[in-house]
Amino acid sequence: MKSRNRILDTVQTPALLVGLVLLVALAGATGDVTTARVATLALVSVVFVVGLSVFSGNSGVMSFGHVMFMAAGAYTTAYLTIPVPLKKTLFADLPGWLSWLAEVHSSFPVALLAGGLVAAVVGLVTAPVVARLSGLQSGIATLAMLLITYNVLNSWTEVTRGSSSMIGIPRGTTTWWAFGVAAAAVVVAWLYRCSRGGLQLRASREDFWAAQASGIAVGRHRATAWVLSALVCGLAGALYAGYLTSFNVNGFFLTATFSFVVMIVLGGYLSLSGAVVGALAVSALQEVLRRFQDGRFTGGNELPAGVADLIVAAVLLVVLVKAPYGLMGVRELRLPRRRRGGGAERRSEAPAKEPVGAA
Amino acid sequence: MTAAAQLPRRSSVLRMADGGIHFDGVKAVDGVSIEVRSGEVLGLIGPNGSGKTSTLNLLSGMLRATSGTIWLDDVDLTRHSMRRRARRGVVRTFQSGRVFGRLTVRENVEAAALGAGLRRREARELTEEILDELALDGVADDRAERLTAGRVRTTAIARALAARPRFLLLDEPAAGQNETEAVELITAIRGFAQRRECGVLLVEHDMSVVMGTCDRLHVLDSGRTVIEGEPAAVRSDPQVIEIYFGKRH
Repeated sequence: MKSRNRILDTVQTPALLVGLVLLVALAGATGDVTTARVATLALVSVVFVVGLSVFSGNSGVMSFGHVMFMAAGAYTTAYLTIPVPLKKTLFADLPGWLSWLAEVHSSFPVALLAGGLVAAVVGLVTAPVVARLSGLQSGIATLAMLLITYNVLNSWTEVTRGSSSMIGIPRGTTTWWAFGVAAAAVVVAWLYRCSRGGLQLRASREDFWAAQASGIAVGRHRATAWVLSALVCGLAGALYAGYLTSFNVNGFFLTATFSFVVMIVLGGYLSLSGAVVGALAVSALQEVLRRFQDGRFTGGNELPAGVADLIVAAVLLVVLVKAPYGLMGVRELRLPRRRRGGGAERRSEAPAKEPVGAA
Repeated sequence: MTAAAQLPRRSSVLRMADGGIHFDGVKAVDGVSIEVRSGEVLGLIGPNGSGKTSTLNLLSGMLRATSGTIWLDDVDLTRHSMRRRARRGVVRTFQSGRVFGRLTVRENVEAAALGAGLRRREARELTEEILDELALDGVADDRAERLTAGRVRTTAIARALAARPRFLLLDEPAAGQNETEAVELITAIRGFAQRRECGVLLVEHDMSVVMGTCDRLHVLDSGRTVIEGEPAAVRSDPQVIEIYFGKRH
């Protein structure tokens, strides 16, 4: 019975979260075009924020650079799925050692996997930095990585098209693809969280020095989470490219970073449920605000540009003040606990013996 | 065979030779030589500011010595990080407990067992054993941040035990507890240490706790060693009475 309860305890949170994203997918699959777009992009956001939470949620180190992994996934998908004739036109000036990029072609599922893997390689290269830094320094370092990535993508015109849009990507992402990847991301993130590495990383999040004193290799666990996190965010980038069919380097910079940080902070960066709830809640909020701004709820009177962003920022400020750990705090979505013996609390069922040294 | 039964059993010595650390010219620890042996409880005592915690920090690797060397048997630990020392079996607790607040008590202990390199199943076995031994099983699923001060300290000790110490460095584990609770706690630690042939260095203010549980005492004052010996001899030493006990009588 004890092991059955432990399994139920372990399984219920990812099951509930997958159920939640399934509801969003069903809404997208059965709704009109606008609903499908909103639902699919919300699911892509879920993938990204879940990926971000694999690192930030378990390590307690906020990253402002994860959008670079999304960019890696998106560009990889573009290179692999844009039809070869179009690529030869778009990338006519590719350097010789990269000329194979114009010839290579794959299906969307392969591109999706490749997007994740390329992002994981970027994660592997950058992991030594996050393994060595903590706190504010680590956050600033991740921002520096984003700046480097953005500038490379923006300046290396022959390969990345610079500030011009990457176009001609076939639409591979459907609502169900987005759901499948989001569900897989939730399961992988949960498995990592419960793994021996995940537990040790969460311990280091709570107290770095106490973790060191317990023999925990904090740097190694941070690096592992960083790479896994990069892989998931790369998948989000591949889905993003495969849904929008065109994108611009500016889509992978500060605006996107802010949007995703709002999602994870508002939901609660310490819990996986917070990541999912935050991604869905902010996606819905952004859509409602977009419609307000377009005048659809105000009789055609458009609101001044930027009002939607102002409101999102204001919501974030309120949440940070009222609930610093977000809507979910450290809680996970769980089924209501069954109470025994006329509603006696579980705590009262604990053995009566006093812990040694209890005050 | 349980995970705890597989703990190291060989006799060892943890020693600091002529160790010192200076902060901006202030000698917090100055030429202290100290030695803890497997299976014994060594009390490190002295008035406030005498360098007890700094000595513990030097031994555990939280501070790097500005002079002297630290050895675990024939291994020079002087340049080893706190984590590397912990992996070699030199494990410490902190004055303030420093538990992993938002993890449950069980997770606190299991994380340390995993940090010591145990497999998951072994770590779980050892965790349950320690929780039971320190009577924490009733609060095992409670988050550590919600515990009373006494249970926080007990959780910190449980975590240290899960790290499979060959030497356990305890920084005021009985602070905030009454004498009975404190003696009960130290007796439990002593029993645990003896069963595993683990050496204990106990930094403690409460002299009744120290006198009742330690095999030997090492007295510090102003960062220097005053005397080292058996509790009875230390208690009757005129210098100790003057600098330490004198304040109580």
